[in-house]
Amino acid sequence: MAKTLPAHEPRSTSRSLLLTLPIALWSLLMFSGWFRQPNRSQQIAGSITIVFMVVLFFMMMRTWSTYRWRRWFFVALGLLFPIGFIHQVMVMRGTMGIPIEEMIAGRTPFCFMPIPLLILPAAFFKTLVFPGSILPKGGMSGGGMAAMAGIWLAVTIVLGKGWCSYACFFGGIEEGMASVPAKAKLPKIDPRWRYGPWAVLLAMALLSLALFEPAYCMWLCPFKAVSEYIAARNTVGMVQNGIFIILFAGLVIALPLLTKKRTQCAFFCPFGAFQSIFNKTSVFDVKIDRTRCTPCVLCQKSCPTMSLTEESIAKGETLMSCMKCGACVDACPKDAIAWHIRGTEVAVKPERARLMFLYAAWAMAVMFGGSIIAQGLATILHVFV
Amino acid sequence: MRKLTAKLGYTGAGLTVFAAVLAPFLLYGVFTKGFSSLGLHVDEVYSGGPKVRTVQAAGYTIDIHRQVSPHLLQSEKPFVQLDWKPVSSLPPHVSDLVDIEGDGKPDVHVSFDVPKDPKAPLRVNVEPLNPRYEAMQNVGKDKFSALIVRVDDAILVRIPLAR
Repeated sequence: MAKTLPAHEPRSTSRSLLLTLPIALWSLLMFSGWFRQPNRSQQIAGSITIVFMVVLFFMMMRTWSTYRWRRWFFVALGLLFPIGFIHQVMVMRGTMGIPIEEMIAGRTPFCFMPIPLLILPAAFFKTLVFPGSILPKGGMSGGGMAAMAGIWLAVTIVLGKGWCSYACFFGGIEEGMASVPAKAKLPKIDPRWRYGPWAVLLAMALLSLALFEPAYCMWLCPFKAVSEYIAARNTVGMVQNGIFIILFAGLVIALPLLTKKRTQCAFFCPFGAFQSIFNKTSVFDVKIDRTRCTPCVLCQKSCPTMSLTEESIAKGETLMSCMKCGACVDACPKDAIAWHIRGTEVAVKPERARLMFLYAAWAMAVMFGGSIIAQGLATILHVFV
Repeated sequence: MRKLTAKLGYTGAGLTVFAAVLAPFLLYGVFTKGFSSLGLHVDEVYSGGPKVRTVQAAGYTIDIHRQVSPHLLQSEKPFVQLDWKPVSSLPPHVSDLVDIEGDGKPDVHVSFDVPKDPKAPLRVNVEPLNPRYEAMQNVGKDKFSALIVRVDDAILVRIPLAR
């Protein structure tokens, strides 16, 4: 059975509003605390974020399109996270470099990136090789390792690798860069680069176990360039910071501009590789109706992480690295590729599957990403208000 | 069979949406508490290890931590952490003989200046009276195993052990 409405005709405004109502109520609930803040810039930032998130969801409902509206959220998240974070770091310690005393005090902010690297030392030695705090209210901003692990697990259960499209506060920068050029200057990429994240994950997990340190954070994380870096106390520190800047400039700025792909996510990110495993446990996936597929490979060209190959299209599925961004679904002129719920038949009520996925994903996006967007906005507004 | 798998699929999808709604109110808290209760601890090279004894000095205390032995391939040396606190009660120049091992004999002589500016750099001299400990002359904060830093209301000194 096909979609109940042709994808090209907009849904009626009243029906779109009705479908958006649960997200509007959810957003008000999630941001109710922001209105009680004494700071006016935070109240305004909270209000703008609610409107932003609700309007984007409304447009998803009205236009049947997911990717192009989700991208606005994701790019805003990627751009506003460093603003809010760097401001907070500068206020609390006056530098983006992590001083050794902050590490000893367990106040190093913990992001989700080191999670896969901490598993082996934790499993073998019950030790977390990260200079942070385990306590839920620990860490620099009251978010210790337990808090981030809690958020990560909750979002992962709901979205699987959808984390990389609806929760990651780093990926938006390269998604923004990838959307700048009209055409890719480097359209052909060796498909073997797809194994890059797995190689980095394996190497960094083993190295973290051997050296008892979060090796990826110490040596390879490109996003250290826009969050916080190791205070360059010696030559090694200078080299580490040099690597962060080169990787950021190459993988997050230059290559997305040249390839129109999320190159850091697709070819390098160990957390993304780790998160791919949870695509196997997620109830939502993306499937291709082979009876409708021509195949024109427009979906393959549009995928920002090269998660579609001719073989996978022939099988009617995406690779496990699919992050459910919806680019391929939007790109298909035949409506052959669609959201899918495991266990159900392919192409049967695909809009129902899309709606169920989007309600879960957007609820998470408002809760986690929305608060980061609001924090970044509040930082900017604080200058003017 | 197809109908059954489809029903299971929709049930799973419904539960996922339900989980998303529960996430901020229940799941997040449950997972956070669950993680906290796993019995994991932060690597002692960062945390300095658990405190084993407190020595009372004139108006301030010195906390002595358990010796930390780094993991096989870690570049740091084994060390012992000593905490002088509260900083507000410390004299402008600290010079203490510290019995780390609790056998009644001093093991190290530690001396450092306490500047009024909390951001001013600190330097420490450690003279070993027991060959188990290494000398430190005018050391700042280069390594986790040999340093002096101010953390909140304490001045922490880490003294490396001779291998």
